[in-house]
Amino acid sequence: MRVFLQIILLSCISLTAWANEAALEKVDVETDSKSIERGAEAMIGSCHSCHSMEYIHYRDLLNFGMDKQKVETWRGDQPLDAPVLAQMAENDAMGAFGKVPPDLSLMVKARDGGPNYLYSYLLGYYAKPDGTLSNHIYPETKMPDVLGVSSIAEGASHTEVQGQARDIVSFLAWVSDPHEAERLRLGYYVIAYLLVLTTLLYFVKKQIWSKLK
Amino acid sequence: MPERIIEWIDQRFPFTSFIKHDLTGYPTPRNLSYWWNFGFLAGIVLVLQVATGIFLAMHYKADISLSFDSIQHIMRDVNYGWLLRYMHAVGASAFFFVIFVHMARTLYYGSFRAPRELMWWTGQGLLLLLMATAFMGYLLPWGQMSFWGATVITNLFRATPFFGDQVVVWLRGDYTVGDATLTRFFSLHYLMPFIIFAAVGIHLVALHTVKSSNPSGINLADKDNIPFHPYFTIKDLYGLGIFLIVYSVFVFFIPNSLIEPANNIPANPMQTPNHIVPEWYFLPFYAILRSVPNMVGGVLAMGLSVMIFAFMPFLDRSRIPGGARYRPYYKLQFYLFIVDMFILGYVGYVPPTPETIVIGQIATLCYFGSFFLIPFISKAEEAWLIKRGLPPEVIELIEKETRDKEERKLKRLRRQGDIA
Repeated sequence: MRVFLQIILLSCISLTAWANEAALEKVDVETDSKSIERGAEAMIGSCHSCHSMEYIHYRDLLNFGMDKQKVETWRGDQPLDAPVLAQMAENDAMGAFGKVPPDLSLMVKARDGGPNYLYSYLLGYYAKPDGTLSNHIYPETKMPDVLGVSSIAEGASHTEVQGQARDIVSFLAWVSDPHEAERLRLGYYVIAYLLVLTTLLYFVKKQIWSKLK
Repeated sequence: MPERIIEWIDQRFPFTSFIKHDLTGYPTPRNLSYWWNFGFLAGIVLVLQVATGIFLAMHYKADISLSFDSIQHIMRDVNYGWLLRYMHAVGASAFFFVIFVHMARTLYYGSFRAPRELMWWTGQGLLLLLMATAFMGYLLPWGQMSFWGATVITNLFRATPFFGDQVVVWLRGDYTVGDATLTRFFSLHYLMPFIIFAAVGIHLVALHTVKSSNPSGINLADKDNIPFHPYFTIKDLYGLGIFLIVYSVFVFFIPNSLIEPANNIPANPMQTPNHIVPEWYFLPFYAILRSVPNMVGGVLAMGLSVMIFAFMPFLDRSRIPGGARYRPYYKLQFYLFIVDMFILGYVGYVPPTPETIVIGQIATLCYFGSFFLIPFISKAEEAWLIKRGLPPEVIELIEKETRDKEERKLKRLRRQGDIA
């Protein structure tokens, strides 16, 4: 019967894993502030012209500990409490792409596969024989190949692009769940406390029940 | 507390006798296993859900233009809002997990049998209330899956004869799921837990009348009953510790494993998600709904699949107590049923393909078959087991039950004057 419990737990966890059909490249999301800041820079440089992050304000970037000078440049004349909205107006984007580029605040959480999906998508561009671009992960995409994946050969520059993609994904992972680091840190304390408490309760239980004949 | 104050209270309210009757002196079978912890755990989860829910409601906005943003506000700006929200979201799954184990235990040990039918039926009512509460709560984040889940499920009420369309509009408050639906679901989602509290009270009053069943299925002699406190308070607390560890692993380390990615996209009535799936705890019933090609039939099958548990006291014809303990066929049936639930859950989760539809239909037949065959199997099994020989205390109990039944019948006849 104990096995039964384990099976239930395992199947709950694996439910999300079943959903992926396309083979995704795995990415280790970086959680150190340097990578996240590099990712923010890359995101502002390559994505921000079309994509917004409406749940992130410029002040959040400062509070995270990013370089004040950089944040000042990014926000321009917008107030610190302004959300990070796309530079392109929605109407212009509609005209250019036929649809508004999605907000990226929750993108890491909003796709099956999470960061792996985003990473594989960013690196999934390739040139078709007729010269047009396509993407392995999301063929209908309207987004241009911002990292230039389709035009570079294997080798050093490929590794560099992979690093860029990983930085962007790490930044977006932080954007979608800014309290994750705090949550994990707190989690270890909570579990440790509960383990001690439960062990004590076990011995109290044993002691009380030993009074029974 | 000074004795005088307690005396003063006791003259006006049964304080001491209540504590004695229902806690310190409440007789509990000493052989209860850890499977008997789950009722207590369900009570704790209910309290957790209400406590986190009340604080979430302080920051949540029930308005289709604000609700998705307000969840993000809770997740990002409210102090420990992320903790409240993850506790509440994981808590919903924990509630169903605990309740499913609680029900499985009841089925396995035959705890639904006389005299505990009312416990089983109030429990069935609690399950329905829980399902309704969870379903309405799932709309509140106003994500894609919230919206489309609510659309699909409210749409099922079109199967109501004569005025199906009107019922759907009445439930939604509009022709489509919209602001009117969100506000009423929020209101009812806040109300339902308190109805659940009341129903739990009734469930407990019934429990304290008939007392706990136990793994042996035999009513124990007084010497085998021990007071609830301190023996079961400490056992329940130890179980709670284990439960909280598992719960915290989900809350702190994998909280998004139970949230559909599509629900992180704001509801969009113009765009159907590729694949609409309910939460894991509804998957087996959803699979049954989809297994019947006809909509009305599907809705009826799904409703019956939930309600059929209530018929167990009538379906189980065996007089042998202790559920699966003394009954090999019943035990086998129980495990096959659990396997069948997992298969149905899988079929409910994956997008329908010709193969999964067939698997789902077979599993649906097995689901209902395992209930409808119980009367015949249990009767045959009883005859076989009695022929093979049973422990004397079990035989004694069966004979006593038969005698009691005949006595009751005789008494009734006497009252009616049929027999002088």
